Amino acid sequence: MNENTKSRLMMILLRVVVYAILIFLTVLCLFSFYMMIINATRSNAQLQAGFRLLPQEHFWDNLKNAWTDASINIPRGMLNSLFIALTSAALTTYFSALTAYGVHVYSFRGKNLVFTFIMAIMMIPAQVSAVGFVQMMNKLHMTNNYIPLIVPSIAAPVVFFYMKQYMESVLPLEIVEAARCDGSSEFRTFNTIILPIMKPAIAVQAIFSFVSSWNNYFIPALLLDKAEMKTVPIMIAQLRSADYSKFDMGKVYMFILLAILPVMLVYIILSKSIIKGVTSGSVKG
Amino acid sequence: MSLDNRPSGRRKSVSYAKWGYIFILPFFLVYFIFTLIPQVLTVYNSFFTNYMDGLTHIGPDFVGLKNYVELFTPNKQGVILILKYAGNTMILWFLGAIPQFAIALLLAVFFTSYRLNIKGQGFFKTVIYMPNLIMASAFSMLFFTLFSKVGPVNQLLQQTGLADKTIDFFVSKVTVRGLIALMNFLMWFGNTTIVLMAGIMGIDQTLFEAATIDGANAVKVFFRVTMPLLMPIFVYCLITALIGGIQMFDVPQVLTNRLGMPNRTSFTLVMYLNNYLSTSKNYGMSGAISVIIFLITGVLGGIVYKFLSAQYKEPVEQPRRVRKGARK
Amino acid sequence: MKKLIAIVLCLLMVVAAVACKKTETKTAGKVFNIYAWNEEFKGFFEKYYTVPEGVTVNWIINPSDGGVYQQKLDEALLNQANAAADDKVDMFLAEADYIGKYVNSDATMGIDKIGFKNADTMYKYTIQAATDDNGVCKGVSFQCCPSALIYRRSIAKDVLGTDDPDEVQSKLDSWEKFEAVAADAKAKGYYMTASFAETFRTFSNNCTMPWVDANKTLQFDPMIEAWIAQTEKFIDNGYTLDCGIWDDEKNQQMFADGKTMCFFGPAWYFNFCMGNAQDPEKGCSGDWAICEGPMAHFWGGTWLLAANGSDNTDMLKDIFETFTVNEDVCSKLVENEKQFPNNTKVVDKFANDPNYGSKFLGGQNDILAFSKLTGNIKWENHTNYDQIQILNESLQSCLQEYFKKSVDKDTALATFYQKINETYPDIVTP
Repeated sequence: MNENTKSRLMMILLRVVVYAILIFLTVLCLFSFYMMIINATRSNAQLQAGFRLLPQEHFWDNLKNAWTDASINIPRGMLNSLFIALTSAALTTYFSALTAYGVHVYSFRGKNLVFTFIMAIMMIPAQVSAVGFVQMMNKLHMTNNYIPLIVPSIAAPVVFFYMKQYMESVLPLEIVEAARCDGSSEFRTFNTIILPIMKPAIAVQAIFSFVSSWNNYFIPALLLDKAEMKTVPIMIAQLRSADYSKFDMGKVYMFILLAILPVMLVYIILSKSIIKGVTSGSVKG
Repeated sequence: MSLDNRPSGRRKSVSYAKWGYIFILPFFLVYFIFTLIPQVLTVYNSFFTNYMDGLTHIGPDFVGLKNYVELFTPNKQGVILILKYAGNTMILWFLGAIPQFAIALLLAVFFTSYRLNIKGQGFFKTVIYMPNLIMASAFSMLFFTLFSKVGPVNQLLQQTGLADKTIDFFVSKVTVRGLIALMNFLMWFGNTTIVLMAGIMGIDQTLFEAATIDGANAVKVFFRVTMPLLMPIFVYCLITALIGGIQMFDVPQVLTNRLGMPNRTSFTLVMYLNNYLSTSKNYGMSGAISVIIFLITGVLGGIVYKFLSAQYKEPVEQPRRVRKGARK
Repeated sequence: MKKLIAIVLCLLMVVAAVACKKTETKTAGKVFNIYAWNEEFKGFFEKYYTVPEGVTVNWIINPSDGGVYQQKLDEALLNQANAAADDKVDMFLAEADYIGKYVNSDATMGIDKIGFKNADTMYKYTIQAATDDNGVCKGVSFQCCPSALIYRRSIAKDVLGTDDPDEVQSKLDSWEKFEAVAADAKAKGYYMTASFAETFRTFSNNCTMPWVDANKTLQFDPMIEAWIAQTEKFIDNGYTLDCGIWDDEKNQQMFADGKTMCFFGPAWYFNFCMGNAQDPEKGCSGDWAICEGPMAHFWGGTWLLAANGSDNTDMLKDIFETFTVNEDVCSKLVENEKQFPNNTKVVDKFANDPNYGSKFLGGQNDILAFSKLTGNIKWENHTNYDQIQILNESLQSCLQEYFKKSVDKDTALATFYQKINETYPDIVTP
């Protein structure tokens, strides 16, 4: 009895501590967002006047200015970004899982070499090869084309590594064996049995890849210059290098804010499937 | 741990090896077409003098290891700059990564604990990931204004009497590094939490129940059950964080206005690389720096991977057998 | 999942197909390609220039963020010889900061080749900037950017006893006087300037030798040394603040309650940088005026350059004429766009118009004031190395650490040299 109340007290205490930590972190995380929202309600002149903690009255002006900018078609940019980010996320998760499965489940000559190789290329810094990549795409006349922005996501070493590690910790090989006994083809086993088990992992990497593709500036900026093909980060950069008569930081902040909304939406949808995937997964059989 | 290798494998007569090749084919095909050539060129270029002087292309002239020698030659003050910047990069990474992993592990355990049963999880999970959604450059821009001499942080410190005069956060090594670490922590701890959480949720729940029934307390469960099973995912987090850390660029670049002040103590390897690349497109020197970054990453990543994977090899095998038994 | 992949692949093909089609149809008709980093000139172009029939103008706009504009432009210019006729760059825009890089290269074409001649009404330095080492002019500017000393009338009255531009000028027409007034201002609780780098451009625009000599050795002009010496004094005596010229800390000094007397800037500075001064509540519109200050200088400007290999030379000539010689268009640039045009005739017209005046400057005729400053702008000593972006800006930012007392002067300069070594392998540094 005494023991019981003691542990209950401990539990309450622990909860208080946990909530305190969570609230502290929430404040820390939200503060910058709060400032972003506040900044989106201020005019360029007000922004130059320094920081303020309370919103000002230019929210709708900024929204209208950003959304209907004559030279920068923001709705179109968001559609472009959405298309690239969604397809990249789909390709990168599917093919990384496929590759990881190939390495994890099958035994073939050079398998260890394959794994070591992918681990090694993961460690090559992206900056320099990025410029070489752009030059190559120029030579292949692949500028103003989404293929160089989408297709390379099939070969994503980091996502492969995650999938491989995830399989190592949750995927029992018996399931594959069982499927073979039932006469399932290898490809079908992967698509219908393994993928559902991998759902949480896929959701996690889909979020990450969506976000990084959505926020990617450097390579798209070097490959795309047709107005109707530009993505959101290029447009933000363009707003920031606008000439003095059109320069408007209020509009820039508003656009940054707008740019975050779709990513948040995708995140909320996918983070649900992380939980669902686990509870409906077949691991526990 | 492949099927075909298992001594008890019942289907030895059928070889599945070809499926392994088929499944990894798309990855390698795309890799060779889109990534390999620029990467090989990077290494190749590091042995050449190759840059632009205005619109004039200088080189490429083969110079052997000259670029590497130049990188490791001490400057007039007797400092080997690339080592200084490598040191900066590691310090900046450590400062952010330590709280990042500590908090992420804690939160992942909290969120997945049925006993703790945290309310409002959806909200918290969304909020902690939010800093990762903003573009790093926009986030740094915001932080710069927050901590400027006339920014809200200074206003707040003065109003509450914590500081009697304006603090310039950008003159001291400690504060600049601290700010960069704080930003990296904020941007990445949510990300790590999610990955670890997904890892924990993938673990068979019956194992936790069994351990609890056996009388193990929460701490024991964490070290004996959670950690060993989570290890592959944890290794993933650590190695990708390490790779990201060594390639740290956006945050210090924007926050310190490309300078890495004071006296380049928060100047990172990739900022160094970028200085060579951005104006004169110096493929020779930047190629050499890339190779060095690659070697550093390879060595450190390899050590982490070997060390952690080996250490937890045994406990990882165990629960699988338990699970098999439980299913019967 | 399979279906999803199938859909994705289909979409990819559609995108690829669309992208291909577009490049194919381009071969028909004449195309005029213009590279720019923002929409400023595009706006003027569309309003004031009539494109000849049968020609499509194609704007390729890349942001200057991260060096993307120059990177893409360079790529296109280096590929110019191999590009199809309608894909060739015809004209591109360049800023004062890096115009030398393009003018002194084969990427640009002399204006004589397109049959254009510079007019007497153009400002001399705008021609010099577009002229290469062999004396061949490669383009024109549609604006002129003399920079002035912008002062607070109320503070000038307090410190100098007058706010009349001519009288203020007579009290600030040399650096000795400027420094003496700074001491007076300080005694009355004011700052002379609000940034350690505020006066940098006035010095650097008056250098007599370029940053890099014939042997590609870095050299410090006496003017740069003078700026460093002056700034040391100003910081130590508290005449100025240790923040940069774009920082909020400086911008806040433009409010009515600001304590700073002098700023330096050209006509575009009022709208671009002085939003705080124009703020209806906290600002102080009308409390400003301009005069030449201790030294004539300029700041910024956009040039139109003729790309070598252009197949639309008649149109190039036409555009150059429209924005420099055409008085009607130049007048409209003043009236509608608040530009300071590159046409002395038009400038004189507004300068002598008694009804023309700026409210922000308390009724002062800014065109008149600026026009007085145009004559002695010096371009001679610019080098091909992009001035502001790397050398000037790096020097300022490296020395800022010294002015803030976080490093000593030698360390700050060593960092500056290091930065140059990284950016320009050819330049020899001490």
